[in-house]
Amino acid sequence: MLNRLLELLRTGDTHRVSDLARRLGTTPQLVEMMLEELERMGKLKPVGERCVEECKACPLAGACAAGMKGRAWTWEEEA
Amino acid sequence: MSTCHTVQADAARPQVAERAVLVALAGQPNVGKSTLFNLLTGLNQHVGNWPGKTVERKEGLFTLNGATCRLVDLPGTYSLTANSAEEVIAREFIIRERPDVVIALVDAAILERSLYLVAELISLPAPVIVALNMMDVARQEGVQIEPEVLEAALGVPVVPMVATRREGVQKLLETVDRVIRGEFPYRPRPPQVRADHQEILEEIRGLIAGHVPEPYPCEWVALKLLEGDREITRMMQERLPPEQWEAVHQVLRAHDDALVAVASGRYEWIGRMVRAAVTRPRAGQIGLTERLDRWATHPFWGLVVLAGILGLVFWLTYAVGTPLQDLLDRYGISVLADLARRGLLGRAAWLADLVADGVIGGVGAMLTFLPILVIFFAVMGILEDVGYLARAAYVMDGFMHLMGLHGKSFLPLFLGFGCNVPAVLGTRVIESRRARLLTLLLAPLVPCTARMAVIAFLAPAFFGPAATLVSWGLILLALVVMALSGVLINRTLFRGQRAAFIMELPLYHLPNWRTIGLLVWQRSLAFVRKAGTLILAVSVGVWALSTFPGGGVEESFLAQLGRWLEPAGRLMGMDWRLVVALLTGFVAKENAIATLGVLFGMGGGEGLARVLASAYPASTALAFLVAEMLFIPCIATVGAIRQETGSWGWTLFDVGLLLVLSFLGGAGVYQLARLAGL
Repeated sequence: MLNRLLELLRTGDTHRVSDLARRLGTTPQLVEMMLEELERMGKLKPVGERCVEECKACPLAGACAAGMKGRAWTWEEEA
Repeated sequence: MSTCHTVQADAARPQVAERAVLVALAGQPNVGKSTLFNLLTGLNQHVGNWPGKTVERKEGLFTLNGATCRLVDLPGTYSLTANSAEEVIAREFIIRERPDVVIALVDAAILERSLYLVAELISLPAPVIVALNMMDVARQEGVQIEPEVLEAALGVPVVPMVATRREGVQKLLETVDRVIRGEFPYRPRPPQVRADHQEILEEIRGLIAGHVPEPYPCEWVALKLLEGDREITRMMQERLPPEQWEAVHQVLRAHDDALVAVASGRYEWIGRMVRAAVTRPRAGQIGLTERLDRWATHPFWGLVVLAGILGLVFWLTYAVGTPLQDLLDRYGISVLADLARRGLLGRAAWLADLVADGVIGGVGAMLTFLPILVIFFAVMGILEDVGYLARAAYVMDGFMHLMGLHGKSFLPLFLGFGCNVPAVLGTRVIESRRARLLTLLLAPLVPCTARMAVIAFLAPAFFGPAATLVSWGLILLALVVMALSGVLINRTLFRGQRAAFIMELPLYHLPNWRTIGLLVWQRSLAFVRKAGTLILAVSVGVWALSTFPGGGVEESFLAQLGRWLEPAGRLMGMDWRLVVALLTGFVAKENAIATLGVLFGMGGGEGLARVLASAYPASTALAFLVAEMLFIPCIATVGAIRQETGSWGWTLFDVGLLLVLSFLGGAGVYQLARLAGL
């Protein structure tokens, strides 16, 4: 299932966890677990973590995308 | 030494011996292990450490049908890979001590997460009972689990329970007893490695057979080698003859994707279990989220919704905030400035000017803006809390992808909407030096919150009821510039590369007013602090330059500097005051407002907004706002660009580029507005 998820990511589009779950015929919870696993394997990178740290120094970090709820990851095609 | 026999054959054999029955309690953290442990052992327990580790070991005794049972609480883990001391302790205990039963406590409300550990447990040589805890929470969330179906699918006993209410505990004990006595037909169905890796697993198994030390099961060791488990790899490297290890190593090296294959098999297995035994509701909160998302995240309608919501945010901000700002301006700051002048009568004239025009004029102008900002923060806070902002990011990313923009350059640019500094730092995710350089040079084009603040103040001052439309248009302009910049980067530098962006969107829910209140308070406080420090310092500086060497503001140093730049300003319809206001934004964007406050004098009894509206035509105002949007970023961002490029040359090039863009944008808009009769 993990390789099918990677195949979907190789299309290079923007994906919602719920869409990925539907396409894989499973639950969003399981997709989240797989994304976390891919993150541990170094195949996905989490988005915004460092920026949250950087934003601490900014008094107007209000509408910063890194502060929004929900998580995000990026996948890049291996060279 | 062992040969490769099946693990389950051992596990199925009941081990009731003369010794006390050994029961292990396994599970993730926070699934209620301690509650169950205390329920079963009562006061018959002691706490220590696992040998050689600082990890807590809890052990206790309980009686089952007259037999004494020793219950060992294993450390809470999510899996049994050698990633942490806890995971190694848990698996080593099961392999070496061979408990008579392992109770796998799982959280029924998040069954998928708990099943990963179960997938690993049932591959070990000890019978497992799955205790489905927190069934009440699962029911509350509408998750229906059929324990009998799960039991049939897993091939191991499943007992539903609510440990906090002692529900199901008796049934669990009965099941433990049945398994120990061999009365339960224990036939676990562990996950299989993905089909295309079965042969490789067999090959490794064949290579290590006869060399696996007791009590490790050969099959399990082969699987762990395939997974790249550090501990097991080290163990087998020491045990195998060098040429045998080299053969294993060759196989592993030729299949470096094996970890994905093993994990894939486990996820496939979890998916099957969940499909078989779990039913989730389609109505309620999830249903509502899906219905709303059909519009909010639609590739086209999502953008329309986003544009509408942005318009609504500005309309609300102006409709409620502007009258408040006006009141504060008229009856607060202006009155305060007059009072300061009266209070300082008889003192040096420059002191009254400094307090009334420099301090109250500059910082006061900023503070009158606070109601607008509070409402803006509140509305953005609500959108964030109900879960919409994540959708906005999703829709925007989809839009950028449609334009062929590479996700890697989009992400830092998107972060710039909060602040340009993290946007510049965010370009570190781009490996290509050229692509990174171009992205960070263009990052300041994204309108940050401070720039939006200037727009939020000046747009209603200049345009009254049309402010919402103007603000909306300015953001659209910034987005178009950003998108075009991104497309340029993409076409030239990222050609052929692909990147995906995956987002977990939260469920929509009612806003938590306490959270929003706290957020507005913190952000407003930070803004006031900035007004009291950086903006105060610049205001005093601007006042000093606009006062000395004497003879009125028109003769001041600032006026001389402004006039020197005025020819460029004229092409944008700006006089020297607006040019200077634009320049002081270099220290911090909000200074543009403070500078106008100082230069137009807040103590005159008339509010800054009205003074500005009567001083400049709409064409000039529009040109100023466009120039402000595209102008060089604040000093902090320029510092970040210098740090990230490591070059003053590139930094100055960027400053120059943005100056040109800002000038061309301002002049173009001014000339067009003039042609349109504004």
